[in-house]
Amino acid sequence: MSEYLVVLFPRRRRVLLNGEPKGYTNERLELEGGTYTVSLLQPPLDFTPMEQVIDLRNTAPMSPMEVIFEEV
Amino acid sequence: MAPRISRSLIFILLWLIQIAACAQYPLNQQNDRFDKQAGYRFEHLQRGPRNTDELFVCLAFSGGGTRAAALAYGVMEELRKTPIKVQGVEKSLLDEVDVISSVSGGSFTAAYYGLFREKLFADFRTKFLERNIQGALIAKLLNPVNLVRVASPWFGRIDLAAELYDREVFAEATFARLEENGRPFVILNATNLGPGRRFDFTQEYFDALGSRLDLYPVSRAVAASSAFPFLLTPLSLKNYPQAKGYDPPWWYKGALAEKDWFTRRYDAAKNLDFYKDKQNAYVHLMDGGLADNIGVRAILDAYAHGFIHQKILDGDIKRLVLIVVNARTEAEDRLSRKTSPPWIITVAEKTATVAMDNYSFESIAQLRGELYRRVQIQEDTDACNRRLDQYCPGAPKFIESKKVDIYVVEVNFKAAEFIGEDPRYYLNLPTTFSLGKEQIEKLMAIGPKLLQASPQYQCLLKVLQAEAEGRPRPKDCPPGAGIMGN
Repeated sequence: MSEYLVVLFPRRRRVLLNGEPKGYTNERLELEGGTYTVSLLQPPLDFTPMEQVIDLRNTAPMSPMEVIFEEV
Repeated sequence: MAPRISRSLIFILLWLIQIAACAQYPLNQQNDRFDKQAGYRFEHLQRGPRNTDELFVCLAFSGGGTRAAALAYGVMEELRKTPIKVQGVEKSLLDEVDVISSVSGGSFTAAYYGLFREKLFADFRTKFLERNIQGALIAKLLNPVNLVRVASPWFGRIDLAAELYDREVFAEATFARLEENGRPFVILNATNLGPGRRFDFTQEYFDALGSRLDLYPVSRAVAASSAFPFLLTPLSLKNYPQAKGYDPPWWYKGALAEKDWFTRRYDAAKNLDFYKDKQNAYVHLMDGGLADNIGVRAILDAYAHGFIHQKILDGDIKRLVLIVVNARTEAEDRLSRKTSPPWIITVAEKTATVAMDNYSFESIAQLRGELYRRVQIQEDTDACNRRLDQYCPGAPKFIESKKVDIYVVEVNFKAAEFIGEDPRYYLNLPTTFSLGKEQIEKLMAIGPKLLQASPQYQCLLKVLQAEAEGRPRPKDCPPGAGIMGN
């Protein structure tokens, strides 16, 4: 039932899922499937976009969903 | 003379009616302001000086009346006697227990330890295990005043039981005391009869009820958790409007997408919605064993999206240990030896127990399966990255999850035959709150033996010892052996 997510960012940063800190960037996160709002903990506000809504499904451990945040 | 007698009778009748009318179960109190940082929730509990997150130990105590309470007690005693060394500090394995999830009879041991700690080993036997609780309940019920009280629709036999537990076992303690004591987080499981779902006595559930758990007596939670159907009546809670500023758990947001209707996350969110619907003004609770007689479902939820999930994602847990103390019985199959089909009473008994027994087996199998799959994925990723290093040096590696070394230990009477004991003795014990001294002694003694005989438990001890001595992991206990054995 698990799905896999990797939030990519040039540096190690706290990942926010539905507004709460859950794990870190550039690590594979094991989650229940479905909809989540993904963002990074701030400050600093040095990333874009501010947040992304994802539908996490059909992933695999070696093929996780990748969500990318760019540094600004 | 006659008018005097009739006046006395009328007076007595009016007095009895007044007692019945005044009899009302104590209500849970409304919460005015939601505070995620307060109340009886895991995240808010102090860890204690000898407890680490690195070694995270969860216990699940099944239902089964005094039989379950005594088996759980024996296992607790063994954990207390087991020396370990973590981060250079010598302690007992009991010091590292973080969570106890319990059902019915197991809830007495769990709550007593949560409230009184070391006192469990000094007086729990005399205060609960060796007492005829059933007899005490009947005596209390037969008190004429109580007979009148239970005639009230707002006061039942369960409320009498809760009064007895409150005064004679739990010293009128509320959840505020459990909160003050810190870990282990004790999850007392009951069943909400309306939706037929599990109900945990945690602030997260009470948030949904718009209520404060810290003011609620632990004895009533234990009574609900062990309210055996028909013998005891349901225990009721009021479902208030949610407190100002209420924020549902993080996993709830986005969980109710139509296309996800078949998933566990959707199902859990629908369960929470039951309490948000204030037409459901009351919650009527019975024995936790109706929804999960093992107590592992609360731990599975914590692993899927709760506090264990959080601790794993944050890299706090290095070793996760689940010890399931399963006091399930199994009457010998004599039906299959007979020509004639069973009578209606046997059919009724089977109807009530077969589904629950299968569900209990599946709950533990699911727990084992999910955790084993995690270990397999960790091993697969490691193996792939090693191959990449070997054949494609410089190629980007597969991204890994946080690594956790996992152990699932089950204490079950069925394993008694592997230690030279007759499992039939234990598997035939009744579910009651009144067992003989010899039965109690045997139950307390078999728990430690079954624990010691578990290959998964032995692997845990070997790995902990090797680590404390700075040796590599023992070869006979590779990752996964803590779940499926070696």
